[in-house]
Amino acid sequence: MSDNKRTLIEDGTELKGTLTSTCPIVVMGRVEGDLSGPSVEVTETGVLSGKAKVTELHSRGELAGEFDADLVQLSGKVRDKTRIRAQTLEVRLKREDGRMEMVFGDCEMAVGDAPDKAKAIANAMNGHGKKAKKADEPAAPAADPPADG
Amino acid sequence: MGEMTRDQVLQRVRRNEKLERADLRGIDLSRAALTGAMLARADLEGGNLEAAVLRKVSLKNASLREAFLAGADLAEANLENADLDGAKLDRANLAGANLARANLEGANLAGANLAGARLPLAQMSTANLTGADLRGAILTNANLEEATLGGVKAEKADFSNANLRGAKMTEGDFARALFASAVMAGAKLTRARLGGALLTKADLAGADLTGADLGDVDARHATLAGAQIAGSKLTGAKVAGLVGTGAPLAGVMVAWLDTSVAGDGTGRITNGEIPALLTGLRPTEEATAPASRRYFGHGDVLRNATLEFEGGARVEIDSLFENCVINLGEGTELVVGETGVLADCKIAGDGLVIVHGHFFERESPGIVGAREVTVSANGAFVGSIKQHADLTRFAFERGSRLRVKIIRG
Repeated sequence: MSDNKRTLIEDGTELKGTLTSTCPIVVMGRVEGDLSGPSVEVTETGVLSGKAKVTELHSRGELAGEFDADLVQLSGKVRDKTRIRAQTLEVRLKREDGRMEMVFGDCEMAVGDAPDKAKAIANAMNGHGKKAKKADEPAAPAADPPADG
Repeated sequence: MGEMTRDQVLQRVRRNEKLERADLRGIDLSRAALTGAMLARADLEGGNLEAAVLRKVSLKNASLREAFLAGADLAEANLENADLDGAKLDRANLAGANLARANLEGANLAGANLAGARLPLAQMSTANLTGADLRGAILTNANLEEATLGGVKAEKADFSNANLRGAKMTEGDFARALFASAVMAGAKLTRARLGGALLTKADLAGADLTGADLGDVDARHATLAGAQIAGSKLTGAKVAGLVGTGAPLAGVMVAWLDTSVAGDGTGRITNGEIPALLTGLRPTEEATAPASRRYFGHGDVLRNATLEFEGGARVEIDSLFENCVINLGEGTELVVGETGVLADCKIAGDGLVIVHGHFFERESPGIVGAREVTVSANGAFVGSIKQHADLTRFAFERGSRLRVKIIRG
């Protein structure tokens, strides 16, 4: 039963302050302040303004502030002066059902390992980048060249 | 069966006694006068309440599963969170009732009066609302997937964020109703009246709008991908950011559309541009021939260059570009291939930028005015993006690596 527990901030509810939960948090109303928990879902009606450090952040509503998560999925709105740090980010041009996605205000995002410009250029110059998964990552052992003809 | 008889229930109601949590399963209260009765959390599963007078009753959290409530008068009743799964409510009067979070899955509400009723977050999938009166009702976040709303009167009803996927809304009157961010994919809206409705960010993908009245609708940022709009009326519709049908137009009646971002009527367009807007088939895309394709192959290096590409071209870069400025015409698609690296570069113009490889800006902003920016799963992007005046559309796939600053245009 505890697996299904969620902390719900209902539509029409406004919460200011610090919220810490061991359950997934669902924000349908408005939260202003610091928030921590295993995951946060901001629904279409939800507004999360402040700071959040969570494992997963899924937002279809509005975000403003500083967010730190392993996985971030965004649609809806990101307001001005927002910073997002994540290992993985997903923003779709359109949803699977065809609906339009994001509106970004002025914001900054740092996602994944920092790309290495020098290595990317070196790989491009040396031809190591060919079909490499990520050109600035250490090159995999060279595969046998395809047979001629 | 329950613990009380019909007479016992009527006596207790007359004495204003509470019947909360009462076990009334299967009871026959047809045509009973129960105005103001306190039946919160009562169990009336399978009960017969046909034509009963239940005005202003409290049935909060009550179970009315499979109950027979045809013709019952439930005006202003409190049915919040009540379980009405499979209940028969045809021709019932629910005007002004509170049905927030109620479970009406598979319920029959044909011909019911729900004018001014509150149904936020109600579960109404597959419910039958044929011919119901929903004028001014609030159905925000309600689940109406595959519900039947044929011929309903729903002027000014609020369906914001509701799920109407696959709903049958044929010939319904939804004039000035609110469908902001509603999911209406695959809905049947043939000959529906939607004049003046708010459809911002609504998803109408695959919907059938044949012969529908969409005059003066606010469809900004809505999607019509795959929708059928033949014979519909669209004059005066607000369409900024609209995702078109993707198919040629057939018999649409439209004198003008408003493309202004604010939807304030300042962006009127007439005949010539309308088909491209409604279909999403931009003339530049249609005109993109192999001759307008540019390819820079792997192993090539281009430095300190300024490149201009005409509107509608497709440019693919698998090379290393250093210290270059790339100007894109309207609708030009620039693809940085998996082996492509744009180092210390700048991209400007109303084009579409897709990064499978690497992009590093020379100075901020590295991209100015692009209509779309996509960084794919293997892509890396370091720089600032100054958005298009109408806001840039972004896609960042899982696995993309970013150090990005987004700036309003």
